[in-house]
Amino acid sequence: MVEKIDLKKIERKIYTSYHQDGLIDIFAGFFILSFGITMWVIPDMAWMGWMFFIVGTSLYAAAKRVFTIPRIGFVKFAPHRVKALVTMALVVFSLSALLGVVALMQTEGGGTPIWLLFAIENPMLVIGVSVAASFCVVGYTFRTKRMYAYALLTLIMFVTGHFLYFPLHYYVILLGSLILVFGLTMLIRFVRRYPLSATDTMGESGNEEQ
Amino acid sequence: MKNNEVNDGETPSISRIDKTIHEPARLVIMAHLFVVESADFLFLQRQTRLTWGNLSSHVSKLEDAGYVDVKKEFVDRKPHTVLQLTNKGRTAFQEYRQSMKQLFKELPE
Repeated sequence: MVEKIDLKKIERKIYTSYHQDGLIDIFAGFFILSFGITMWVIPDMAWMGWMFFIVGTSLYAAAKRVFTIPRIGFVKFAPHRVKALVTMALVVFSLSALLGVVALMQTEGGGTPIWLLFAIENPMLVIGVSVAASFCVVGYTFRTKRMYAYALLTLIMFVTGHFLYFPLHYYVILLGSLILVFGLTMLIRFVRRYPLSATDTMGESGNEEQ
Repeated sequence: MKNNEVNDGETPSISRIDKTIHEPARLVIMAHLFVVESADFLFLQRQTRLTWGNLSSHVSKLEDAGYVDVKKEFVDRKPHTVLQLTNKGRTAFQEYRQSMKQLFKELPE
């Protein structure tokens, strides 16, 4: 019996099932799409795409309460996992900040470092790699394998785009739309698969499969 | 001879196995609660695929053994049950795992 109880597998299964609602995909897709549309409509204010991230975070939590918890229940993950997530976020933030500081210090001398010149001259590759890396981080953090597929899709699209010379926002909009559609499909499947439960408690009868 | 007195030095020590946890459904419940901080009744039911009645009865047994803490509350006027392993339950589960590993190690080829 103990051979069949793989705790890591159970933990992974719990994570996967808690994120099978497609909400994280919808959130990511909408974020990328809003960035692409902003780049297209008001290129000088493309940074406004980040505003969705702030609004989207609270929307994500609200959607989780509306769609997921009433259907598959609520779970509070173990403190060590939450701690790992916070550490991961801090590491990513610190590395990004460090990269920014290094870039600033190297440009202050008058010249632009080669790596920064490369980044400026090849935005498609840099953005593609950055977005793909972000998907990998999200995939690892939430233990969702499809994020690695998104990372691969991003790399393929942006590397291809590097040689095709179409405007950048085309690829951003296309990538965001694809992920958004996939997320919506997942959400519809999730809602159909898990109808609302009349009760989620002991000692009360409900309409769950008996 | 009783089942729990079979350890004669050569046979594996079955007496160390916690019978409350050893039951397959309760083992699955304990394993799921072990990897999280807490979960509600619905989540556990979805994960374990146990029927409502089965889960309810096994959780009650685990609660009686002091392994699971059951908190009943009302959320938006609907009953809501949150389950959490107690420290005693966590220790018992770890000991159970150790005992089973030892048992398999002691089994002759």
